Amino acid sequence: MAKILEMKHISKAFGGSKALSDVHFDMEEGEVHALLGENGAGKSTLMNILTGVLTADSGKIVFLGKEYSAPTIKEMEKAGIAFVHQELNVINDLTVADNIFLTKEIKNKFGLIDDKEQVRKTRELFESLGVDMNPNQMVSELKTSEKQLLEICKALYSDAKLLILDEPTTALSTDEVEHLFSILRKLKSEGKSFIFISHKMPEIFAIADRYTVFRNGQYISSGYIKDVDAQKLTSDMVGVNYVDADYYEERPLGEEILKLHNFSGHGFSKINLSVRRGEILAFTGLAGSGASELMQTMFGVLPIEGGYIEVNNQRVTGKIGSFMKHKISMLPANRKENSVIPDLSILENFCTAEHVLSKKRQLINFKKEEEKYQYQKDKLKIKAPESSLGIASLSGGNQQKVFLARWLNTGAEVLLFDNPTQGVDVGAKSEIYRLILEFAKQGQTVIINTLEIPEVQKVADRCVVFYEGQIATILDHKDVNEQVVMAYSTGAR
Amino acid sequence: MDGKKLKSSVGRMWSHYSFIFVMFIIMIVYAIAISANGNTFKWSHIAAILGSQNTCIVGTMALGMALVIITGQIDLSIGSSLVLTTSATIVAFNMTDSILVMVLVALLVVGACGLINGLLVGLAKMPPFIVTLGTMLIYRSLTLSVVRTIDSSISGSNSSQFAMLRQNSKYNFLRMQFGTGKLQLGGFSVPYITFVFLLMVILFVIISKKTKFGKSVYAVGSNEKSAHLSGINTTFVKIAVFVITGILVGVASILQACKIGNITPASSGQSYEMYAIAAVVLGGISMSGGRGKLLGVLFGALSYTTINFIIVSIPSLSVDIQDTFQGLVLIVVILIQTAGPVIKESIKTAKRRRLSLSEE
Repeated sequence: MAKILEMKHISKAFGGSKALSDVHFDMEEGEVHALLGENGAGKSTLMNILTGVLTADSGKIVFLGKEYSAPTIKEMEKAGIAFVHQELNVINDLTVADNIFLTKEIKNKFGLIDDKEQVRKTRELFESLGVDMNPNQMVSELKTSEKQLLEICKALYSDAKLLILDEPTTALSTDEVEHLFSILRKLKSEGKSFIFISHKMPEIFAIADRYTVFRNGQYISSGYIKDVDAQKLTSDMVGVNYVDADYYEERPLGEEILKLHNFSGHGFSKINLSVRRGEILAFTGLAGSGASELMQTMFGVLPIEGGYIEVNNQRVTGKIGSFMKHKISMLPANRKENSVIPDLSILENFCTAEHVLSKKRQLINFKKEEEKYQYQKDKLKIKAPESSLGIASLSGGNQQKVFLARWLNTGAEVLLFDNPTQGVDVGAKSEIYRLILEFAKQGQTVIINTLEIPEVQKVADRCVVFYEGQIATILDHKDVNEQVVMAYSTGAR
Repeated sequence: MDGKKLKSSVGRMWSHYSFIFVMFIIMIVYAIAISANGNTFKWSHIAAILGSQNTCIVGTMALGMALVIITGQIDLSIGSSLVLTTSATIVAFNMTDSILVMVLVALLVVGACGLINGLLVGLAKMPPFIVTLGTMLIYRSLTLSVVRTIDSSISGSNSSQFAMLRQNSKYNFLRMQFGTGKLQLGGFSVPYITFVFLLMVILFVIISKKTKFGKSVYAVGSNEKSAHLSGINTTFVKIAVFVITGILVGVASILQACKIGNITPASSGQSYEMYAIAAVVLGGISMSGGRGKLLGVLFGALSYTTINFIIVSIPSLSVDIQDTFQGLVLIVVILIQTAGPVIKESIKTAKRRRLSLSEE
């Protein structure tokens, strides 16, 4: 098949550190190419060079027969490369059609925007793709998954030949992922090519034709997906001979520590549940099942509308602060939005929650805090330079560990984790599982809310499946598998 | 090698403490302006800057403004609060002749002003710009309506202003010894009220750097959602910064009463909120919240006062055109501060682009 893209001998350094050293990457026409590597492997840097955001220190790019050495963003856009970012760039206060035509508006004879024509064209585009969306709807009313689709449609409308999809499925449910893939397959047959960046192995095997693996800024391997298995890709990414270890082991559990009685709130009602000390519980359910809302209500983020929650036989009410006093903590989903305090240092980010509990002593003892941080840093194996640097200098996985540490440092006994491995690379993911089991062994109770069943299978003693605001079933560790969970979470059983 | 090291450490200083460099540059310009007028630049010029109303009174209020801005909010009412509070302070003094009552009234009135702002913003979730725009009008107009009706034995003046009564026994101490008095340090003299300002600077640098509350102020301004989800009572923090600003306005109004001795509700404190914002921004504090050093406010206030002095020292500028130059200088200085790094980065990129092209 014809090569549409070749990137040769690309190197790029930031300050003293090499982000990419002499790497190669090529694409064939009409393929989905999985670009793999842990966070910090150099994927983003390479994509930024390809799209003209960054300029390579050396090397060249050949796209559709034309050579570029230091292209600008505009040049690459014109050439037909579109970047669908992980963070959505759609504009909430415009309609779907307005977003598609943003900066490429169709004008009528008075030079004003021709809404009718834009809506008609949008409808055409959606029909050809099999997308079910109303062009006149406000984007703010769309679900995250729909926004993601919109972003892809927008790129397609601009007649891009090569689309870069950066973790396009993080916010999608299984059904939605399948739908996205069917659209990708259709487009592929029309000759469009995709660079697919994802940390989810099953998706890579479902959609990708070829792969390229980077590690620490270096090219490691590439080839056809059909010739390899997940084990090989993972070990290429992580470096050491990676084993997909089964972390789970049965442990004696303690007394009841947490109890929900007829617990009701936004999106769920009359939940009854008892959790024991040292237990690892998984919540799972599709978007709208109430699992995430329940978790947030158990931490005082959303109001309790009925029933009660007891921790160590004491009822807890009020705001987040009073839940923290009762030794509950929550690692929220969407790290960037809900955990990161971008202008504060690593140490300051680490201390925020503990400061709330110890606010009676206002003066900060910096030496002691540094010691506490070092202790957690060693325990959680956080890879970080000095603690005085900004939190943004860490990779996603290490940031997430800092936030884990933020809560461990409060002495919490019940740890609620909402989607803890979102946007975290394979290596860090497996470390987070290992840590979760370790916490449980030390008598801490962990509840994870996740959509990824393999995660549940790795760590959970029990799995609570939610459907339409109710507990559909509670599965024991040995009974958890994707088919059963899916059946319960879609209401099929 | 050593030269490189020096360069990089100066670079680091520049990026962290650019407000100090800015102040020195402005000072040098002032010195040049003075010698251009045929005078020599002396300590008395610096003492005048240190003791100026714009440094001590606006500077003290600007410390509160800085906290408000770091949380991502704004307080437009401080000029009007200053008028209201100074009036109340003077009335309290005229009626009781007691320094203690005077201080208490100042802090109470202004604490209430700040609390009203804070509650409307924090609990009613109204945009701070609108709330403080409203209270800005209210606080001044309330004072105006009172000054015309109040008896001159209480207001201390017949001419639509509040003035401290000279016949009160503490008048001499407050006005002559404290308000306009100076401390002799060797050959240098520094006004007492400057020390009050410096004391406040030290206090707030400590609060912002060494206390848990201080860190929570930055956290709220940097990412309110994350701050909330890590347990910080963001509503409390947002209200608290308004109340603290209020208290600082209280301190400023005592300084105003003692230094000037009177206040005219129709004209005093006009645009002080803008001067305070200017001092905050010149102090390198980000208007988008989450970033900046309280120490910057000291240098920002000094820079702003000096800019004023420079403009006033140019004899050919009429009073009417002075604000135009003030505005221009402010824009240019901020442009250099904020656009500097951006320009530096784009020059670097262009250089790289040229290099990679020439390699071909």
